[in-house]
Amino acid sequence: MQSRRRKSIVIFIFCVTTVFAQSNEVTVRVDGLSCPFCAYGLEKKLNDIKGVENINIDIEEGLIILKIVEGKIISEEELREKIRDAGFTPKEIVFTNKDKKTREKE
Amino acid sequence: MLKILCLLFTGLFTFVSCKDSEKSEINPEWKFVRTIKLNDITPTGLQAEGNFLWISDVKNNRVIKTNLNGEVVKEYSDIKRPMHLSVYNSKVFVPEYPSDKIIIIENGYAEEYPLQEKPEAPAGVFVNDSLIAVADFYNHRIVLQINNENIILGKAGHNKGELYYPTDLTIRNDKVYVADAYNNRVQVFDYKGNSLKVIGEKDKINVATGIEVTAKNIFVTDFEGSRILIYNLDGILIETLKDNFNHPTDVTYHNNAIFVSNYGDNTVSVIHLAD
Repeated sequence: MQSRRRKSIVIFIFCVTTVFAQSNEVTVRVDGLSCPFCAYGLEKKLNDIKGVENINIDIEEGLIILKIVEGKIISEEELREKIRDAGFTPKEIVFTNKDKKTREKE
Repeated sequence: MLKILCLLFTGLFTFVSCKDSEKSEINPEWKFVRTIKLNDITPTGLQAEGNFLWISDVKNNRVIKTNLNGEVVKEYSDIKRPMHLSVYNSKVFVPEYPSDKIIIIENGYAEEYPLQEKPEAPAGVFVNDSLIAVADFYNHRIVLQINNENIILGKAGHNKGELYYPTDLTIRNDKVYVADAYNNRVQVFDYKGNSLKVIGEKDKINVATGIEVTAKNIFVTDFEGSRILIYNLDGILIETLKDNFNHPTDVTYHNNAIFVSNYGDNTVSVIHLAD
């Protein structure tokens, strides 16, 4: 029983890690991004995360798009913590793999 | 009886005089004159110097000097996310938000100004001949560096003497005026850290981003409300300017005019004191 549970946990961690490892772009939605002191403060906090290559802020849409260095993994929990540090309430966070999408299109 | 009548008359005369002087202060009539369009400049900080404007172009990571028509005459690039700047003795002091540094531009060169107490996200700076003061956004405080001494004004919170994400400051007659941005008010401190006055708490300011103080007035930018609130030095609201602003971030006074940077539409509004 215990070994089955352990196996399930290992499989779960593997799946989650795989999803994050495949993600090379993260889209974060927050409220109150119109103020430059807040928006660029959030950018500053997110830049502290290891593995973030580039940050693009879409103030009008309230979106932050993070490009992740190839092969690097960033966790949703760390992201949420940094967003809270910047004085925002994290809303939607979406991990995507743009290359995969591009390949699928091709 | 005569004495009582004299006293009553004197009292009435004083009351009427006071009312008149108050009334004349309450109607200064600042008037919108024109808009300066900025080409691909997203302004956060603004300072007037002679017939020129120094502007922090936050989106493009640069500091710009323009003439009063908005034409760029000088550009200093590679200054990351510049915020509320200060001009003193032909030197421009710029808070660089992500690096937690103050950059000084002098004789065409930009270099780091040595700060003893490191801020986290400096949003505003003020400099005069005896001190440098920094609005320390994420530490919810103002840091005064006077010679080798550091004085801290405020701490995180919402009560008197506390600050919540301060973005700008200015100093006049040894009083420190702070745009206490997310407490939606202005707060005035002395150099010992005592809070002397809280201004604008009942005026429905929605993020007090920028501040300027003259011999007679305190000007505050209401970012989300797209307004400029004008107070006298006692903190009494004397005028609210509502039109011709779009998410204002900073305000600066020069030659009987105020200039307001509009982050929302990349412009500067010019307002003159009516004759």
